[in-house]
Amino acid sequence: MKKLFFIPIFLMLFTTGCVPKSIIDDINIEAASAFDELEDDTFIGTVLIQEYLPDQSTENKTFTATANLRRDLLLNIQRQSSEPLHLGGLMVTIFGDKLADRGIIDFVDNYQRDPSIGARNFLATSSGSALQILKGEYGPRGNSDYLNNLIEHNMRYRDLPETNLHIFIRDYYTKGKDPYLPELRQINNKEVEISGLSLFKKDREVHVLPTEKMFFFKLLADRHSNGSFKVDLGIDKEAEIKSIASKRKIKLSKKYPSQVVIHIKIKGVIPEYTGDKITPQIVKEVEKALEKEVNKECLSLVKQFQEQGIDPIGFGFYHRKQIRGYDFKKWEEDYKRLTFKIKTDVNIVETGVVE
Amino acid sequence: MPNLPIEDRFKISPFLVFYMITSMQIGIGVLGYQRLIAQYANEDAWISVLIAGSLIHIIVWMMYKIMETVDGDLVTAHIYVAGNFIGKLLSTFFVFYFFTYSLTILRSYLEVIQVWMFPTMSIFWFTLAYLLLCIYIIYGGFRTVVGIAFFGIVLPAYLFLIFGFNLKFANFEHLLPILDNSFKDILLGSYHMSLTFIGFEIVLFFYPFIKNPQKSKKWAHLAILTTTLLYTGLMMLTLSFFSEEQLRKSIWATLTMWKIVQMPFVERFEYIGIATWSLVILPNFCISLWVASRLLKRIFNLQQKKGVFLISITNLIVINFIDTREQVGLINDYTGKAGFIFTFLYIPLLLVMVLIVKKVKKK
Repeated sequence: MKKLFFIPIFLMLFTTGCVPKSIIDDINIEAASAFDELEDDTFIGTVLIQEYLPDQSTENKTFTATANLRRDLLLNIQRQSSEPLHLGGLMVTIFGDKLADRGIIDFVDNYQRDPSIGARNFLATSSGSALQILKGEYGPRGNSDYLNNLIEHNMRYRDLPETNLHIFIRDYYTKGKDPYLPELRQINNKEVEISGLSLFKKDREVHVLPTEKMFFFKLLADRHSNGSFKVDLGIDKEAEIKSIASKRKIKLSKKYPSQVVIHIKIKGVIPEYTGDKITPQIVKEVEKALEKEVNKECLSLVKQFQEQGIDPIGFGFYHRKQIRGYDFKKWEEDYKRLTFKIKTDVNIVETGVVE
Repeated sequence: MPNLPIEDRFKISPFLVFYMITSMQIGIGVLGYQRLIAQYANEDAWISVLIAGSLIHIIVWMMYKIMETVDGDLVTAHIYVAGNFIGKLLSTFFVFYFFTYSLTILRSYLEVIQVWMFPTMSIFWFTLAYLLLCIYIIYGGFRTVVGIAFFGIVLPAYLFLIFGFNLKFANFEHLLPILDNSFKDILLGSYHMSLTFIGFEIVLFFYPFIKNPQKSKKWAHLAILTTTLLYTGLMMLTLSFFSEEQLRKSIWATLTMWKIVQMPFVERFEYIGIATWSLVILPNFCISLWVASRLLKRIFNLQQKKGVFLISITNLIVINFIDTREQVGLINDYTGKAGFIFTFLYIPLLLVMVLIVKKVKKK
């Protein structure tokens, strides 16, 4: 019996060689990639790998190839790489302007199929060339870390609504909701910024929301959000409001089913104020002003979406879920007739450490 | 020989029945059952799971009724109803049943490893290593098998904490409107839960090994309740995490859900999850091997040690012939169907037969 016990252990020791090894120093880990369309049916793709140097800095290395099929892209890039490419470390994927206009689901779908790619990957579009963004030099931690952190902290603490690979795919496959992605722009070889939000119709980019509107969009799109916004209170008086917690609820009005009521609650602080003194009265004023502003801007946003026939907030989804037995085929017609009502409650809890 | 009483020192405490049943039920099905159910019942899939779970309570009650009446395991019940020869012939089918069960589990798990981790891994060598481990466990006797069942539940239990990561991305409005699907569709969903739920029928085979079988009843029901709630909860979470069509595409929804997990020290959590899962399916595999060899002993008087060896070797040979996704899907499907027929059709039938024979014998 004792002898028998050793057989599994021996087997486990010796059969480890049955699977090909991937030693970290002998592979190239793809850290970011960018795709764009050259002309009809020809794609160009860039893959960024990072080499970690002995002095703890990283070197960005890019490979670029063109191909007719998306699959060939990776094959062509493999041919340039001195070590086998692995997809496991992918963090950011950027789609060029032309490609986003044409549809990106083929690329995204493949990410979903590949088990080595995580669902928290960031997808983004670019204004201008997607490939150039990867070819810049953005600091010692490497380009992919830079881009990843850029998107992540803006999503967590600022105005960028939450998206990643999972959310994009989920929205794409949800009946009655369209996905959205952040748009990046390269300022120069050392700087890159978030320049807006690409709104999609299915998988085609149809509109880019400017950064000023992103705060309002996030209030509408995310169930919980935070971000900051500036309110003008007339001459020489400006207040910045940082929303620390907000909630939004979408309900279909019971009386009129074609009316959507969006209830937004914002709890915020005033970190910046240019004026004499913050009195409770001014706080009230700021609250009122922000409420008005949010109502106005959000309403114009949803009306704009309605005109464009896109539905990034997911009104169709709420129709399907809140009306029993809703025939989704009617949705396109119903959407055109939909009216909106936005109610905002702003509650400012703190005004900083000085009066 | 057939009805030798089991010595007390080989028997197990009644509460261990809980671990036997849960560890046998939770196996390969839970990695991807969501898609199959949602295909029919859509957002009401969790109701299907609840219905299936509550029906199983009735089946467990029936199983205990059968075993109490004949005071023995399934083979005794068969002999009681149909006589020695036909009774044993009927029992032979269950050797095949548990053989297929073990094959399905191991092959499905291997498929997961091949798709998610190592595409080139050899089926033969892994099976050989795994089988040797299982043979070793079974040679330790029934109580060792029960011990493995205990650890197969307790050690991987931490995996369920991981689903906390998914809560952040869950939108429970996906579950609305409740009961929007026809009752027939919901029941069809329940029917497809078979593969995920089967495993509780093993009580029929180790009943003589339970000390105080009366007391084990409540533990059996508690086990069913636990798995039902677990599956229902996971189903609700899955439905609110994915959108309908996305779920329809995910063969292993549970594993896909782990793709969102992000921890500072591990990039891809699935690798840890899948490796841990080998501990979850270990009791599955061991118990089904044990039951099959036990049946061989009861029917053909074949020494259990030889029986285990025989079944293991057959497993090792047959598993190489199941190659593709379709074949694995097919064998999963067949095992699920066989499980459904056994538990939901055969057991009630057997109970009726046993009760009739009992009345006749009294006269």
